[in-house]
Amino acid sequence: MKNIKIIFVFLTLLFASCEKVVDIDVPTIPPKLIIDASFEVFFDENPVTANNVVKLKLSADYFDETIPVVTNATVFLTNLSDNTVINFTDVNLDGNYEPTSSFIPEDNITYELTVIHDNQTYKGKATKVKSTPLTSVVQGDKTLFSGEETELKVDFTDDGTVENHYLFDFTQNIYLALEDRYFNGSDYNFSYFYQEDEIELPTNVTIKMTGISKEYYTYFRVLIDQSGQNAGGPFQSVPSSLLGNMINTTNEENFPLGYFHIGESDTFSLDLVEKNN
Amino acid sequence: MLHFKKIFFIFFLCSFSLLSQEKITLSGTVYDNINNETLIGVSIYFPELNAGTTTNEYGFYSITIPKGNYKIQISYLGYTTIQETINLVEKTTKNFNLIEETESLNEIIIESNIEKLNIRTPQMSVNKLTAATIKQIPVVLGEADIIKSLILLPGVTSAGEGASGFNVRGGAADQNLILLDEAIVFNSSHLFGFFSVFNPDVIKDVQLYKGGIPAKYGGRLSSVLDIYQKEGNSKSFNATGGIGLVSSRLLLEGPLEKEKSSFLIGGRASYAHLFLPLFDNDNKAYFYDLNSKVNYRFNDKNNVFLSTYFGKDVFGINDSFVNSYGNTVVNLRWNHLFSDKLFSNLSLIYSDYFYGLILDFVGFEWDSGITNFNFKYDFKHYLNEKLKLSYGVNNIYIKFNPGEIIPNRDDSGIVAEKLIDKYANEFAAYVEAEHKISDKLTLQYGVRFSNFLRLGQDELNTYQNDQAVIYNDEFKKYESATPTGTESFKRSDVISSFSNFEPRFSMSYILDDNTSIKASYNRMAQYLHLLSNTASPTPLDVWTPSGKYVQPQLLDQFAVGYFKSIKEGDYSLETEAFYKDIKNRIDYINGANLIANNEIETVILNGKARAYGLEVLFKKNEGNFKGWLAYTLSRSEQLTAGRNANEPGINQGNWYSTPFDKTHDFSINASYELNEKWTFNSNFVFQTGQPTNYPVGQYEVQGLNVPIYDDNRRNADRLPAYHRLDISATLTPEKNKNRKWQGEWVFGIYNLYGRQNAASLAFRQNNETFRNEAIQTSIFGIVPSVTYNFKF
Repeated sequence: MKNIKIIFVFLTLLFASCEKVVDIDVPTIPPKLIIDASFEVFFDENPVTANNVVKLKLSADYFDETIPVVTNATVFLTNLSDNTVINFTDVNLDGNYEPTSSFIPEDNITYELTVIHDNQTYKGKATKVKSTPLTSVVQGDKTLFSGEETELKVDFTDDGTVENHYLFDFTQNIYLALEDRYFNGSDYNFSYFYQEDEIELPTNVTIKMTGISKEYYTYFRVLIDQSGQNAGGPFQSVPSSLLGNMINTTNEENFPLGYFHIGESDTFSLDLVEKNN
Repeated sequence: MLHFKKIFFIFFLCSFSLLSQEKITLSGTVYDNINNETLIGVSIYFPELNAGTTTNEYGFYSITIPKGNYKIQISYLGYTTIQETINLVEKTTKNFNLIEETESLNEIIIESNIEKLNIRTPQMSVNKLTAATIKQIPVVLGEADIIKSLILLPGVTSAGEGASGFNVRGGAADQNLILLDEAIVFNSSHLFGFFSVFNPDVIKDVQLYKGGIPAKYGGRLSSVLDIYQKEGNSKSFNATGGIGLVSSRLLLEGPLEKEKSSFLIGGRASYAHLFLPLFDNDNKAYFYDLNSKVNYRFNDKNNVFLSTYFGKDVFGINDSFVNSYGNTVVNLRWNHLFSDKLFSNLSLIYSDYFYGLILDFVGFEWDSGITNFNFKYDFKHYLNEKLKLSYGVNNIYIKFNPGEIIPNRDDSGIVAEKLIDKYANEFAAYVEAEHKISDKLTLQYGVRFSNFLRLGQDELNTYQNDQAVIYNDEFKKYESATPTGTESFKRSDVISSFSNFEPRFSMSYILDDNTSIKASYNRMAQYLHLLSNTASPTPLDVWTPSGKYVQPQLLDQFAVGYFKSIKEGDYSLETEAFYKDIKNRIDYINGANLIANNEIETVILNGKARAYGLEVLFKKNEGNFKGWLAYTLSRSEQLTAGRNANEPGINQGNWYSTPFDKTHDFSINASYELNEKWTFNSNFVFQTGQPTNYPVGQYEVQGLNVPIYDDNRRNADRLPAYHRLDISATLTPEKNKNRKWQGEWVFGIYNLYGRQNAASLAFRQNNETFRNEAIQTSIFGIVPSVTYNFKF
């Protein structure tokens, strides 16, 4: 349904076409801890690998140029089935915490992530969400509004036995969150269009599809919305605070931002070429 | 309530006792002399008796007075007043033909009477505009527009340029009852809000009730926009039209049988490929309207009308995306006079709103809509000079199609899904009296009883403890509950039933010949809700009925006013203050998805709203220089408290501004008739910026830079103030004289000084510099236009 929104934004732009950057004094709040922990298990690879990074940062005033990283936190993961602990460290002091020993999240196990920072403890839980491999991703010939878009045709087969949610990462921080409500159990294909300014041809892109939980899907949909991909116009919905699944157990009021999620991912690389329409 | 009924009966009995004096009834219909259109709201006045009445929506009047020889005055806005002496000895039927002022320009010295203030009737809080005024007001791209014109009067605002709907006295856009020839119109906008669906050539009369709403209207809380279409010229064949930058319109009308039957057919179409210079591929964007009407006057007692409206918008981008929506209205009416004192109108109305979308690149088609069948029987009973009664019944059967997804091609992979259709029946009965208590005091009092039945649907979700929204105490947020099951019903079952008594009361008290004070109270019930979580409604928004999980909206409004006519009506001053209290105004949980949601109850939170304000309208009605100055000071707020002490509600349970709250709203409209050739018109508008939300910080997740919004300051910030100046000049060429073809040019400039008014502020990261920016979007800069109107 995101596409419908795109259309409204497009309409707004069509008539408007008059945008300018303005100076606004925005209110500020004390910095909050951001816990960005989206673990990916590349299940279709041999051997199976995982990308388990916990990124810690502090929120900043809206017009600040940088978002500071947090390098002095204690981070560990607990396997709640046997209470084993996996420690994470920030080796490069860049706010990215990785497991001290290699680790692949297992099926049907609940993991608890603990972050201790500034004498406050933050906790959240996640269980790996299953996914399905991408059947194919090919470049198409169609265009959309401006005639300058690049079409990607994505094909995969949805598992009809369960309710699935997917997150597509088209690189360049372009995401699409999908639910299988309208294609449950189908061999589903859809087109995604890169805007002219989003991609420079020819290039090689790697598309990533991750199975996500219903809650993360709801969260990410709003996240995409608020990040400004769809912002602006009379059709914009009322912005609101976006709470994730991490809790501050020391001081509930000082809730953190971000999300802890574990999902299966599959990637697909392809070359995009210039096409004459 | 009981107390109220008692008072009502006392008045009722008092008035019957007056009937014993020897009186006779004068009744009839008032027509336009040229085209034989009936005229609405014509004043019939006996100065010696200080008694009078006005014609109703069908041009009919009736008045009962003592026998005698009297002077009678028939006056109407824009028409030459008739003054004559009439000898009334027995029951008399008399029709009057009024002559339009512009037609009689050179013959008689006329007393212009445009939109003069009626200080005597208890009805207050009404905005009126004539079709002639609407056509002169400068508007964007020269498209004469009812709603954009009404916004220049006090108490009415819109979410901004290019935003559909309008807000009356701090009410939401879904709280306006829009009636076109008595039929409900669900969407009043073309092109997502740039133009309204009403063809100005077809309009006979427009009234917007903002308060003191008569008992015959119901079903929406904030206002009634009552639009009557012309019947068609029953004397001679006639064409009217206009050629503009955006659209052209043509209206044909004429007699089918002279002075008995007439037809009217009006069309308006935008130029297809209107915006296409912007793109070089196969796109389309257009709208059109088709109005038609046939009437047959069997005799003085029976008159039948069949009218239709059909409007559509189509917007498409090659074959990937096609979006179309529109209203269809069919309406059959029968006016019947049971006696010279009892007028009746029976209406059978079908109306439908359709929204369709094809998204080929995702592989589906989407259809949604709302259909209703409406039966109305209204009576107006002119009991005597002091007492008029209105009563009637109304039944509406409504079918809601919240949406259906259909795969649009064989290989689409989309699984068809039909959101559950919903059904409802809304019944109402009302009685209301307009009662002249003394020369100074007139009352209008009545009650409307409304009943809403939510009828059986195939599946209705059930939830644990009937709670469709749950509060997640761990994560401190509202979440949608998962249905525990479904109940199924027969179509004839009643799932929920709501009944309301809606008392209505207005009064006017004359202080002197030129001054009056008025007061009113009205209660309204609204059983339908438009699901919309955006700053202004979109054509895609769906209506949902009240039922098990959503309560009907209820309003109480109080208004008082001071009305003064200065220099015999050359100037007028209207001042009103209002207070509105609304129960069961819905809002939505954070991150609510309203589109194609089959479990809409799981994202709705129940709250309340209130609005209060002061309106001032100062008008100059006479002379070459005419115009008005309107100012509204108001506040419109919403409160959504937690359902228990544990829940925060929205905005921590504190009052917050509605998205359409505008503290100051100031407008000036001035027109100057230089000579017979040139007329100039201008508007100036100043408004407080709309509420918005600024971010309080930023963060980053998965590479996305995201603003932080604070739930404790919902709608706490404002867009910059809105202001603009528009001008127009109307040229009536001299060669028009003594020929059938009458032409006129309207040249306009919208937003003369090119103010870049903010339609919205977006906060996002620049793709190249990776710095955060606040980006203001403006819709219209300076927009010149030219329109040619003709008549032959």
